[in-house]
Amino acid sequence: MSHKIMGIDAYWMNFYGLMILTLIEVLAVGANLGPTAEGIGMTERQITLWILTIIAVPKFIMIAAIFMHLWGENDSGILTLTALFPAFFIIIMVLFIGLTHPDAGIGLPDWCRPGNYGL
Amino acid sequence: MSADYHDHDHPSPWGPHDWGHGAPHNSWSPLVMSIGIGIFLMTFGGLFTFSEFDMWYLPLVIVGIAVIGAGLFVWWRQDMSFDGTYEPMSAGVPFKNIQIRKVGMWVFLMSEMMIFSSLFSTYMRYRQGIPRCDTVFNRGLFDPVTNPDGWQDGVAVTCFEPASHLIASSWWHIAPGAINTFALIISSFTIVQALRWAHKPVGSVDEEVRRKRVYRYLGATTILASLFLTLKMIEWFIGFHVPAIDLIGLHEHEIHSLYSEGYLINNDHYQHHDYVDEATGAHMVANIQVSATLFYVTTGTHGLHVLVGIIGLAYLTFKAWTGAYNPQSAVSIEYFGLYWHFVDLVWVLVFPFFYLY
Repeated sequence: MSHKIMGIDAYWMNFYGLMILTLIEVLAVGANLGPTAEGIGMTERQITLWILTIIAVPKFIMIAAIFMHLWGENDSGILTLTALFPAFFIIIMVLFIGLTHPDAGIGLPDWCRPGNYGL
Repeated sequence: MSADYHDHDHPSPWGPHDWGHGAPHNSWSPLVMSIGIGIFLMTFGGLFTFSEFDMWYLPLVIVGIAVIGAGLFVWWRQDMSFDGTYEPMSAGVPFKNIQIRKVGMWVFLMSEMMIFSSLFSTYMRYRQGIPRCDTVFNRGLFDPVTNPDGWQDGVAVTCFEPASHLIASSWWHIAPGAINTFALIISSFTIVQALRWAHKPVGSVDEEVRRKRVYRYLGATTILASLFLTLKMIEWFIGFHVPAIDLIGLHEHEIHSLYSEGYLINNDHYQHHDYVDEATGAHMVANIQVSATLFYVTTGTHGLHVLVGIIGLAYLTFKAWTGAYNPQSAVSIEYFGLYWHFVDLVWVLVFPFFYLY
């Protein structure tokens, strides 16, 4: 890959970006975010989780796109589709297993429980 | 497909296929592997019968593994040219004219992604479904009238104790994980630099300079990967000593390992120094088997991938030291690099959600 980002070699630029984002992650955990979280009606734990998630997404994309050559190569398109192929199954696992509360059968609102269609 | 494939036709069953007839479908290796898998599955099931270990099946299990290994070895030997100049290309849609090994590596990585996705979804499920230990502790001491949801002194309560409660409790505790994160990112960078130097066109760079750059970058990647596992062992089992530094007001203290803190997969009576009722001195004890198991299985699976990576990196570094890499043979670094970046990619998610949150 011989691409440049803002006039700088793509590998180096990616490396700088990843280092900075990781530093922000570590600082976000160490920082006292309590007052900020209170100001926007969240807990400190929630705001930390949001920061970590928001930072993890671009880091994930940066490694896949630049270091794993899913951007800017002749075969990038089809290999990106190959990489995204299991996304459907991952979404199923995360949404229907990971984010389903074990008590969902009795803990969900009445309108979305089996047999109760609300309307 | 390469125009010079006819130079690489070998009639020997141990050698590469006759690629002149397209993709190989005439190998008997898959049949051998199927027999091996059959032997393995049938005998592995017999190893444990009603929780009893039956050692008579063990030799047959080993035979099954050996047959699978032999089939894999012969298939691998048949499909590769081993001369560093011929790279089999895919002939069919949708991967036409893309290196078969590259596509294979991506498919393999996606199967790996499924493994880690299942671990993540399990983590999310339990993290949501079991109350956090500090939440349970904050409910206060049990009282049948005023606080029926509280905890009782010495009675284990099942709750979720994230490892981050110990790891993210101070900068020193988080240091091994944070250094590891930076080490993996730097190692991803060093391996692409090795690839870049191996890829430089012949004549554009002195071959001795190429050899040195490639093996030094790969060697640096190996060292960083070893550092990762070393720090993980320190974090899990050993701990470390922080000396006093008066200049910054730092007091001498010990950073205990997760093991010595009692963060273990079989601990159903875990005690954290935070979980003490100041008024009565009562201790809340917790059954943390689920949370500790999730932490060790997920980070351990990742660590196992790093270990496999170190073995691969050691081999690549040795080959680079012998001057084996040039623009034609650089694909080996590229394909291994995909695996290594994947290991980094997984850590990008493991670190915040298992170490920080």
